[in-house]
Amino acid sequence: MSPRSLFLAASAFGLMTLQGTVQADVATEALVEPVADYKLYVLDNLDRFVTHTQDFTQAVEAGDLARAQSLYAPTRVYYERIEPIAELFADLDASIDAREDDYEKGVEDPDFTGFHRLEYGLFEQRTTQGFAPYAKRLMADVNDLEARVQGLTFPPATVVGGAAALMEEVAATKVSGEEDRYSHTDLWDFQGNVDGSQKIFELFKPLVIDEDPAFVERVEENFAAVEETLAHYRQDADDPTSGFVSYEQVSDEDRRAFVGPVNLLAEDLSTLRGKLGL
Amino acid sequence: MSPAPLPPPRFLKFGVLVSAMSMFAALGVFVMSLEPQDDTIAGPRVVITDAGCEPNALDVSAGETTFTVVNRSERAIEWEILDGVMVIAERENIAPGLRQPLTARLPAGDYRMTCGLLSNPRGTLHVAAADDASPASPLSHKDFLGALAEYKVYLTLQSRRLIDAADTLHRAIEDGDLAAARDAYAQARLIDQRLAMATGLFSDLDQRLNARAEYFAQRDEDPNFIGFQRLAQGLFEASTTAGLAPVSAQLRDDVRTLAERWRHQAIPPAQLASGSARVLAAWHDHAIDQAPLDARELLDLRGLLQGADKIASLLGPLLESRDPQTLSRLTSELAALETALPESGTAVDRDALLTETRALSRTLSEINHTLALQG
Repeated sequence: MSPRSLFLAASAFGLMTLQGTVQADVATEALVEPVADYKLYVLDNLDRFVTHTQDFTQAVEAGDLARAQSLYAPTRVYYERIEPIAELFADLDASIDAREDDYEKGVEDPDFTGFHRLEYGLFEQRTTQGFAPYAKRLMADVNDLEARVQGLTFPPATVVGGAAALMEEVAATKVSGEEDRYSHTDLWDFQGNVDGSQKIFELFKPLVIDEDPAFVERVEENFAAVEETLAHYRQDADDPTSGFVSYEQVSDEDRRAFVGPVNLLAEDLSTLRGKLGL
Repeated sequence: MSPAPLPPPRFLKFGVLVSAMSMFAALGVFVMSLEPQDDTIAGPRVVITDAGCEPNALDVSAGETTFTVVNRSERAIEWEILDGVMVIAERENIAPGLRQPLTARLPAGDYRMTCGLLSNPRGTLHVAAADDASPASPLSHKDFLGALAEYKVYLTLQSRRLIDAADTLHRAIEDGDLAAARDAYAQARLIDQRLAMATGLFSDLDQRLNARAEYFAQRDEDPNFIGFQRLAQGLFEASTTAGLAPVSAQLRDDVRTLAERWRHQAIPPAQLASGSARVLAAWHDHAIDQAPLDARELLDLRGLLQGADKIASLLGPLLESRDPQTLSRLTSELAALETALPESGTAVDRDALLTETRALSRTLSEINHTLALQG
């Protein structure tokens, strides 16, 4: 046997051994509690989502443009946190959160409803005139979502996979600024996605930390890097609830600075399902 | 310590040969594991254009299928398989011009697929039952993970309400307000009975909260006779709140202990069905000696039925794939008992209630066998 083929065979062996440990089976009993705790987290956020949507849609219906504009982003945050579950309902995800590019006729499409329809009115046309029906529809959809999620048995693989899905979402639509193109409140959504992803990671971390402490350390470092860049753009740097400046004010350099850690997080977190045997 | 004797050189040569062969085998397996990433993926292929899916209708067999999704439209797309409005598999962010695989395990049925723009028509996906009627592989504990987690959520939410209700009950008793205490008792007891199966996991708490007077040496005079039954005796038979405050204070503490234990207690999957069967059978065996049934027994049964209903909704999806007949029997028995259980004030068909309760309990007790579940 030539030294080269010996080397190849040895590497193959090593790789397969690695694969073996990646598939390590975490006891099912240990997964019950974090999956349950995640649903409680989602229900808690949904509860607040409903309350905020009430305030937001009432402002639209009352014709209070300034108030409606100011409530747009703080309301969406709750949806962005729980997106892995919310988007399981395809009809509501479309009517609550679809963007104009999802429709052939764009903003003219009669089926284009929800947050981004209202965003177009509030921030581009700068009016609440004629938007009361969209506000009513949004409120009804959000109530419907809450009822459906309450009755949903959460698919464990979707819950765990949600950590990576949220970071992929950030990479795909938030960094570019296309999600909230009229309001430029992308950083709010960004933070919502990061919060939701981090929550899932924190819940399952105890089950993987002994097996792969380097993974945990890497993920924590990248979350910290993202949080640090986000913090530069808070209205009040010391107050995490103060909200964010317009995405237009984020330098190209910082937009690029997000890309690295966000992609690394998406990549690392996508291994979480395998690590937990799901 | 003397060195271990060396094995004969012939054995060494043999050993080297064997390890070399196994390394070659490993290499082969490794190379084969790379294969699926080639461009030659078997399985259905769907092309997304600006106008929709091509083809717009797919037929596959039940089981695991790898779809290849090709994006020939001008924008990034996500491709989803929908069961009604629920997304059951999806591949997000497929850039224009690229292809991505999506592997999904689909039971037989009719599905729809999204095709780019939301305004595009949806495609259809028909999944035919697999030809070989091979017996389904036994369920593993992992298959119960979703149900167990959902039950834990239910326990958490219901025990929060139970704690609130127990607080209200204790306050009403302390205030000496008999009518309010009776109302509060009904609220708390209904929730307590929904959770009877899970309370049964802890015999000490189950006894303190739920044991009837006949289980104690001195019956209702026994100092250990406390909990709901003791409160009911005071509120509904003696018609007074006098002397009940220590009992309701203890109950208030006990439901908190119960909630705390549930937080960290693993519920064995087999308990979901067999535990529910057990608490319904216990109600039946008590009620069969009571004629006529009083309002409190009906209240207990309503709580037990609501608890069983939750369990049925959790096990339903598992039963559906294993034994749809048992599932439909379970569903119709739950509905029959619901119908037989009267609103307060109307006449009680005692025989119907007893018969339906026993039937439901029996069906629940057979489910673990159906699901080949032990422990």
